[in-house]
Amino acid sequence: MKFPYAGNALKDFFSKPSTERYPKVKKEAPKGYRGKISYDPEKCIACGMCIRVCSPGAITMTKGEKNDEGQLIEMKFNLNSCTFCQMCADFCPRGAIKLTTQYSMIATDKNELVVSGSFIKKIPPKPTVKTVQQSKAKTEASGSK
Amino acid sequence: MFDDIITKSKVKSPWLYHLNTGSCNGCDIELISILTPRYDVERFGIKLTGTPRQADIVVVTGPLTSQSKDRALKVLSQVPDPKVVVSLGSCPMSGNVFKGSYSIEAPLDRFVDVDVSVAGCPPKPEAIIDGIIKAIEILKDKRG
Repeated sequence: MKFPYAGNALKDFFSKPSTERYPKVKKEAPKGYRGKISYDPEKCIACGMCIRVCSPGAITMTKGEKNDEGQLIEMKFNLNSCTFCQMCADFCPRGAIKLTTQYSMIATDKNELVVSGSFIKKIPPKPTVKTVQQSKAKTEASGSK
Repeated sequence: MFDDIITKSKVKSPWLYHLNTGSCNGCDIELISILTPRYDVERFGIKLTGTPRQADIVVVTGPLTSQSKDRALKVLSQVPDPKVVVSLGSCPMSGNVFKGSYSIEAPLDRFVDVDVSVAGCPPKPEAIIDGIIKAIEILKDKRG
């Protein structure tokens, strides 16, 4: 008579259960896991590339009125409709969007799952007086011809 | 006295019903994986039930297609109160990449009160466990 798995059976008597004791023992997501989006408004230039490549249309940009200081721009990343494909982070020219390894995204209210950030986009400085005079001189010269 | 014991023990063993409303199977597989020995959600007394009439927690996956909408709402109305509705993944919350389609009725909270929503596409099994623990807390509050 043979007992092919007798060794395994004996071993399993003294080994620990394979169940992960998750809520008690916290677990790290593997490296490169695409979790919650983190957005850095300091680096953003409001080019709108992320909005272009987002297939579920989860990213929205709202522009404020233009002042002397600049223009207030607010970016909203709606994780309710995100597919976590990382296209926004890959296409961002300044690396302002990153997908962290935070996987636990639980909410009782939908608005908790919106990552947002705002910054003031500076208007480019007005051309100096010298350049204006030069341009005037150019137009006069072209007019005389 | 007998009723007290029953209500207390009911909180400790919530039964889970899985409702698929046109999901791509990603979230379903992740939900099934939490019932396997590795994640073993039965540690919290949870058991997957086959009928909505015995369920306490309903886990909804999928973007609520037009074909499944009436059936899904019928099934949800069969769940006895107090019930907790958990929406799993991005689809029932917003419609995900399908939103704007002629055959999609998402979001789910247009029709029923969603208590807990778990984000992810699909969410990691650990995140689903977190969501279900939250659902048990809400169920405890609802039972009083």
